[in-house]
Amino acid sequence: MDANRLIDRRSFVKMAGAAWMATLAPRGAFALERTDAVFASAFMAPDGSYGVATLTEEGKIVERTMLPARAHGMAFSPVTRRAVAFARRPGAYAMILATDGTAEPVVITTAEGRHFFGHGCFSADGRLLYATENDFSANRGMIGVYDGTHSFTRIGEFPTYGIGPHDMTLGADGRTLAIANGGIETHPDFGRTKLNLDHMEPSLALVDTATGALIEKHGLPPELKQLSTRHVDIGADGRIWFACQYEGARDDLPPLVGHFAKGETLTFVPLPERTTAALANYVGAIAINRREGLVGLTSPKGNVAVTLDAKTGAVVKEERVADAAGVAAAKPGFAVSSYGGLFMKRRSPVAWDQHIVRLGND
Amino acid sequence: MRLSLPLTLGFLLLAVVAPAAAQESNALSPRVLDEAALPGVMAKAVDYFIVPGYRDLSRATADLVEASAALCETPSAPALAETRSAFSDVVRKWSMIEIVRLGPALEQNRFERFLFYPDRKGTGLKQVQAILAKRDESATQAQNLKMKSVAVQGLGALEYVLYGTGAETLNDEDGRFRCRYGMAISQNLTAIAGELLAAWEKPEGIQSDWKAPGPDNPLFRDNKEAATELLGVLVHSVEMVKDQRLRPFYDGVMDGKQEKGRPKLAIYWRSGNTMESIAANLRGLQTLFNIAGMENLLPSDSRSIAGSVNFLFKALISATDRVEGPIDAALADNRRRSRLDFIALNTADLLDRLNRDFGGAIGLGAGFSFADGD
Repeated sequence: MDANRLIDRRSFVKMAGAAWMATLAPRGAFALERTDAVFASAFMAPDGSYGVATLTEEGKIVERTMLPARAHGMAFSPVTRRAVAFARRPGAYAMILATDGTAEPVVITTAEGRHFFGHGCFSADGRLLYATENDFSANRGMIGVYDGTHSFTRIGEFPTYGIGPHDMTLGADGRTLAIANGGIETHPDFGRTKLNLDHMEPSLALVDTATGALIEKHGLPPELKQLSTRHVDIGADGRIWFACQYEGARDDLPPLVGHFAKGETLTFVPLPERTTAALANYVGAIAINRREGLVGLTSPKGNVAVTLDAKTGAVVKEERVADAAGVAAAKPGFAVSSYGGLFMKRRSPVAWDQHIVRLGND
Repeated sequence: MRLSLPLTLGFLLLAVVAPAAAQESNALSPRVLDEAALPGVMAKAVDYFIVPGYRDLSRATADLVEASAALCETPSAPALAETRSAFSDVVRKWSMIEIVRLGPALEQNRFERFLFYPDRKGTGLKQVQAILAKRDESATQAQNLKMKSVAVQGLGALEYVLYGTGAETLNDEDGRFRCRYGMAISQNLTAIAGELLAAWEKPEGIQSDWKAPGPDNPLFRDNKEAATELLGVLVHSVEMVKDQRLRPFYDGVMDGKQEKGRPKLAIYWRSGNTMESIAANLRGLQTLFNIAGMENLLPSDSRSIAGSVNFLFKALISATDRVEGPIDAALADNRRRSRLDFIALNTADLLDRLNRDFGGAIGLGAGFSFADGD
């Protein structure tokens, strides 16, 4: 199947064309300077259209850019100041923005037989962009490799060594990718339907970006086969933290958060039962505040934002946030957004999507 | 090329006459889930739609087994016609209930085993043809067949047996192997339908989970999770009709250019059941919406959303019924093709009504499918 069935190609091309570019607000029309922008997140506007916005430390919108379809996760390179919004699965586009305003947005589409899963990251030097993709006829997770500077052309790919990869992060060595293979089979012919809930294969894989080779892979024990490993972030000490969504019985209380480092087995954080129940078996996003040694978690199903101590795993804070969406490191603590338009303490007339990226080094 | 444009525009106008409900999103009543009404709606969905739907399917597949057995015993043109008619009835009954793509239907690949579609690269077709060419005896026993590829044991495979190249041999002795293979598929279908019915009829099984959301419920911790699942059936199925059933064979008019269409990618094109199946999908959805009393979840000042939804269902079903005949002939005809344009346009509208208007009004947030995280 051609990728253009995944999104409405013709309306997409129309949007991505000149007429659509003209709808972008002219430079200089912004009350705030681009340098004030420290976060970016995708959103849905009240009229049902989609976009991506940059925001200040206080959660005030600096700049908006329209998107051709709904986005999900974002990536940022502090070297090139480029940010990327990836289409939500099973989407077929990604838009690259110059957060410093030095270039027009670039839209790329997936290769034939692939779609995006909604997440990606840049190489340490910003020269390459990696994206989690689905080789859907083979039901095989792939990392698409793109030029990360100008053309954003696709220059290669390597496997994720699992199925249904979702989020990933670059390891502290700048060369290893830590990939969360959610283990859920999907196929664009069936939309977002999860096809293998009774035989999932979640895993976390470390893959060498230089060779595409598998360094190590951690499957989950049989009793946790329905625990989808979906989102990851990296701690100040280089540990990979992962957050999960459970597809099993709703009254189970599975572990939802854990961490590991190369050469180690997975460690799950023993959260208090109350916190596990509050997270509703579903962590939508995870972020680490490396300066303060904190782990932030959000659950839109549980309407809660939880902060953990990265050293001890102890719950530092548990806050009720209706339809909690994204989380990113802030100064101090975390910025949390919601489907209802809340971002930090400020409400904007948009529905914030599931993820926030911090536009900075930390 | 441009001949069909005025007609399409006519339908476009028709589409916007649907009673508007969007303005009501600014109404004063709170947008919270009606906790008192929800369990009753879930119970009605199970008792009046899901269980009867699987019961109808189970009966239709049993009739198919009977007709297949008679055909294999005494091959004849009337017996073949009888079997084909029983097949079409199974397609209709399945299309009504396939919208419940959750729970038991997802376990043990039951859905894919019952219906493998789309067969994009024709791999399934090749496997079926290989079974027929090699006269693979292991495919004539239902208990063996169920262990084989999902593509050779369901409706698609049976359709090829009954309507594909060589199907005329079913009339006579030459078709004996083909007939026994078809018989095994029918038995497999009736076994799957029986499992689905049993799973939903079991009093302490999934139906009790649907009827009583709560903290100890393995499916729904609260009413909101249950409402999300139920509305999800409607939203995801309308999406399925729009993206997975219509679009494979017809993209519509785009930038003034008329798609010729791809009739051989249409579901059930061999048996001419394409539009019958899509109409049954829509009838199933409308029946579920009304029989479960989903309107009762709407605040009293927003009840007209249900009216808009029903208006669209009615218009869509009527247009689908009027795309008569084999799908290749329909695609070659301007009048019927313009009805396909109308269906494509209005399924998109229906999706929006359910997802944003209805979902928002019953308290599931700004576009309920927005909230499925990922």
